[in-house]
Amino acid sequence: MTKQIDKDRRRVLKKTISASTLALVASSGLLLPQRLLAHWPKDAFTAETVEDALLALLGEAEIVDDETVSFKVGAPPSYAVNGAAVPVEVRSELKNIERISILVEKNPFPLAMTVELNADAKLPFKSMIKIAEDTNVIAVVRADSQLYRTSRFVEVDIGGCA
Amino acid sequence: MTIVTRDRIRAKLKEGDTSVRILLAHPMHTGRGKNELGLLVPAEFIQDIRCWRNDREVLTIKCGTATAANPYFSFQLAGGKQGDRIAIRWVDNLGAKGTVETVVK
Repeated sequence: MTKQIDKDRRRVLKKTISASTLALVASSGLLLPQRLLAHWPKDAFTAETVEDALLALLGEAEIVDDETVSFKVGAPPSYAVNGAAVPVEVRSELKNIERISILVEKNPFPLAMTVELNADAKLPFKSMIKIAEDTNVIAVVRADSQLYRTSRFVEVDIGGCA
Repeated sequence: MTIVTRDRIRAKLKEGDTSVRILLAHPMHTGRGKNELGLLVPAEFIQDIRCWRNDREVLTIKCGTATAANPYFSFQLAGGKQGDRIAIRWVDNLGAKGTVETVVK
């Protein structure tokens, strides 16, 4: 009889402990990031081809290949010694730019970054990206609900996707 | 030895526009790299950066793993005056956060 009670007691204790641990973890904020970052477009960033990434990010959309977006990769342009930090620069004469995305074609996950600009923000936009091997780097700019795409081929000495 | 770095931000008036430069201190591990022992380093990278000018949101950057370590960004804001407050907040995939703030010079 006492044994049975002991067993029950143990089970109850165990359950309470695990329940309280869970509650603690939840309240401490360890589970928070997922909720907070729900707006991070995971599908786009984990897509493995440029087409998939663009589809996930922008949906079905017509893209115009256009050179009104001037876009520089590497320093000197089109060449990078270290693939771990390749400078990119996007300039454009276009008005009402809403979004810029930078993709690296042969990276494991092509989408490097996407920038949403409000009315106040202006180009040029500069940053550094990682490039795994010689590849095309693509910039897609959305302005006045129209997409413009420009690409540059870049040579890399030391791949930088570690 | 680890070099202790911190997030930096500079904002300057240039031909009537505000030019903002940001340098964040973050390792940006992709989850594919290995450490000295040959073990995979778990992914740790900044996912979301937001920028405010005087409590008005002006820019959002979403980063993937292909953003370089210690990410650098530079962009312009139309107009602006000396003394404008420019603030940045970032969040990484593990939930770490950082803020930096500066005043336009």
